[in-house]
Amino acid sequence: MRRSRDRVVDKKRRSGNKNRSRTGEPVAPQARRDTSTRPESPTTRSLSAEVKKLLQGIGTPRPQPFQPDPFQLEALAALEFEDVLVTAPTGSGKTWIAREEIRRLLNAGRRAWYTTPLKALTNSKHQEFSEEFGADRVGILTGDRKDNTSAQIIVGTTEIYRNQLFDSLRGGTDIDADLVVLDEAHYLGDEDRGHVWEEAIILTPPRIRLLLLSATIGNAEEFANWISEVRGVRCGVITRPGSRPVPLRAAMLLPDKRLLPLVNDHGRLNPEIATMIERSRDEQRRPARGHRRRF
Amino acid sequence: MKLHMPEMPPAILLGALGSYNLLPAIVFMPTRRRCDQAASETALMRRDLSDQRREARRDFMRSWVELHPEIRGHRHWDTIIRGGVASHHAGHIPAWKMVIENLMSAGLLDAIFATATVAAGVDFPARTVVLTVADARTANGWRQLTASELQQMTGRAGRRGRDNVGFVVAAPGLHQDPVRIAELLKARPDPLLSQFRATYTTLLNLLDAFGNFAQVREIAERSFAHREAALQIIRLEKAQAESAQAIERKLKEAGCDLSLATVTGFERLVSARSRLYEAKPQTRAEALHRWLDEVVQPGRVVGIGRSGKRLVLVTEKRDGNLRGIREDERIGSFALERIGRVYSPIYRQRDELIEEAFADIRARGRELVIPEPRLSASQAEEQNAVALIDAQLDELLPPTLSDEEKSRYTEALWSTLIDAEDLERASRRIESLRAEVWQPFEQRARVLAAFGYLDFEAEKVTERGRWLANLHVDRPLLVGEALERGLFNALQFDRIVGVVAALTADEERDYGQLELDDALVTALAQFEDVGFKVSSEEWKLGIEPAPELNFSAAAAAAAWATGMEWVKLVRETGAEEGDLYRMLSRTGEALLQISNLRQTHPDAARIAAVGADAVLREPVR
Repeated sequence: MRRSRDRVVDKKRRSGNKNRSRTGEPVAPQARRDTSTRPESPTTRSLSAEVKKLLQGIGTPRPQPFQPDPFQLEALAALEFEDVLVTAPTGSGKTWIAREEIRRLLNAGRRAWYTTPLKALTNSKHQEFSEEFGADRVGILTGDRKDNTSAQIIVGTTEIYRNQLFDSLRGGTDIDADLVVLDEAHYLGDEDRGHVWEEAIILTPPRIRLLLLSATIGNAEEFANWISEVRGVRCGVITRPGSRPVPLRAAMLLPDKRLLPLVNDHGRLNPEIATMIERSRDEQRRPARGHRRRF
Repeated sequence: MKLHMPEMPPAILLGALGSYNLLPAIVFMPTRRRCDQAASETALMRRDLSDQRREARRDFMRSWVELHPEIRGHRHWDTIIRGGVASHHAGHIPAWKMVIENLMSAGLLDAIFATATVAAGVDFPARTVVLTVADARTANGWRQLTASELQQMTGRAGRRGRDNVGFVVAAPGLHQDPVRIAELLKARPDPLLSQFRATYTTLLNLLDAFGNFAQVREIAERSFAHREAALQIIRLEKAQAESAQAIERKLKEAGCDLSLATVTGFERLVSARSRLYEAKPQTRAEALHRWLDEVVQPGRVVGIGRSGKRLVLVTEKRDGNLRGIREDERIGSFALERIGRVYSPIYRQRDELIEEAFADIRARGRELVIPEPRLSASQAEEQNAVALIDAQLDELLPPTLSDEEKSRYTEALWSTLIDAEDLERASRRIESLRAEVWQPFEQRARVLAAFGYLDFEAEKVTERGRWLANLHVDRPLLVGEALERGLFNALQFDRIVGVVAALTADEERDYGQLELDDALVTALAQFEDVGFKVSSEEWKLGIEPAPELNFSAAAAAAAWATGMEWVKLVRETGAEEGDLYRMLSRTGEALLQISNLRQTHPDAARIAAVGADAVLREPVR
């Protein structure tokens, strides 16, 4: 998702519109390379082979045209015949899946509900979809905002969606949607509000397709099995393999500004750090000799 | 295993990271205050040398002021422009946070000092994520970070399309714990755990939709929380079936023609006998309760109330609560204590036979009623109880048996005792598992019934309950009772704002020491009085007490509603902008909810609408 947003910003820059993004919010001119403000760069210092390896490849990749990840396409394909739970870390492109599925539905003249846990997120999704699909096709429903509520896409908080489910049950009416996206579905584990997500999942009529977007969780299969049982519709799990879109390396900074890899290639603690901890523990155990003299 | 290292001043930390080309970074700090301090300190110590970037930031922020005037003159304005760093946490208003996020995305900041709340929700990444401690601060002190929290944090490291690699760096600090961080990085993400619970709103809506408790219960039993229990019930049922098979096999081997019901009946009598040895009732009430507990069984007809006129065929019995079918064929629940009469026949619970059962009782009830024990009788009975049970044990066996057969049958029954115990234990466990999900709903149903929002016997939501179901606020019952008692009808709009803010705000948070006017104090006192009535009823039925009203929120919200300027409100309350914003925004939403009740509470609805308007003005919206 970020890639495509950057693309848009780039396009705007080329077209000379420097001060307004497509969201209507001001956009800064693209910063110059970060390194320009750095007095020292690692290459000017003598670094150990260990640290060189740790920092290897640091920097900006060459721009590449956007291409969907296989897991994104897989999720879209699965949505054709079942509910889908997507688990992947933030920023790995979960929203792209929702957006493409919504696009597909809109083209078929169908309708979607998109729920988020936060008002701020609801507002930004509303803006994003308005720009993508046209403002007249997107409505918003939060605790204090109601706009265009009969639009093809409704963006709103999960509480409001759940309340609509209650109303439709009590009034014997139908929820007017073909797809419901539950963004940040791991909010189900939130102590205060989590029950609302469960109610939403249990009460959504089985004819409506569910797409759940969640952070990585330890029991995705179990969660999906429960959804299948409760709704009587199979719920598949799509997980981003390798889990992270950008690889992560762990380091530790010491008071003398030395940088050390935190772990070795197998994820074990760097022995040098282990020795340091050992020494610091001995230090604490020994009666502090210096102390008495000071007083 | 903490590694105690001196805390590195933030400016030096950023210098070090910069020297490895590890900027921009998000530096996670344990408290909001530490974030603010780190940002200001960095701005003083370390100037961003690039004039161009400084200018770019200034231009950028000025252009934002046009859209969001409330950020003009923000106390961190200079920090950002001079130092190229910012703090980001829940103490800031959304517009300000959005400025920071966009500055970061535009590459105009070197670092953001943030609390862990940034890790959730909004999406703004950096090349590097810095951890200064391996702990998280909560309302109740410190605790270790969880794997999921760390993953949310490290999820910000490495910008897709802009970084080849992302980094997580453990920075020096007094409470740094590299071992723990290394472990958490390897750990599986935490499982998602259900937080399903009973609420008044859910109960009212579902009961109104389905018109009976059974279906509401069925929904509750479909929760993720109950899934474990449901799986356990399946396992228990399997164990039950195995015990039953074992019993049948043993009986068959012994050549005894006895039903499973006889075997479980035998087990009950035997265990009743051993219980009798252990305890004896002390008071009349206790004796009566024990007697009822013994004689009231599924299949028996009982009379409800002292006169015992309303007949119910008992279908289920658990923990002193009963369910049964009434003469009008409706299903209802009631407590054991409410039973006035018990009739001896045990009827089969088949739909087509129920009518006959009631007709039977109506025809010859007088002779079928089981006499209630007198205390003296019950004491005498205690003495004879063992003998009585022994007699009953004898009666279990068919009277036609020869002596030889009798002893063979008795021996067979004793041999099945262990299996029968297993069977009964499994039944009781299944009952209690099923009760676990439902009990909180039943408790709430009783509270709502006590205040007239639903009819417990009829399993119906009343007229009153119908509008309460639509009222989506925190603590709906309290607000509903305040509305019913007309507390809001004569209030000025700023006072209704104050009262609603007092109940919506976080209990613990301090929104400053603004003065409360007398009328607001009176209104709050009346409201508290209603709150006490509600809480007492809840407490009686075993529901935890609700949080207390927040008077400082009432004062701040009332001041805001009567036109105090935002900057002044922030200054005079000493509260953080973000906290004020959230409190007022939620207050406004609750007022909008009340303003929807035009049909049933026109006066309160009108005042609430005015209040909502007064609260939901820039920057609160």
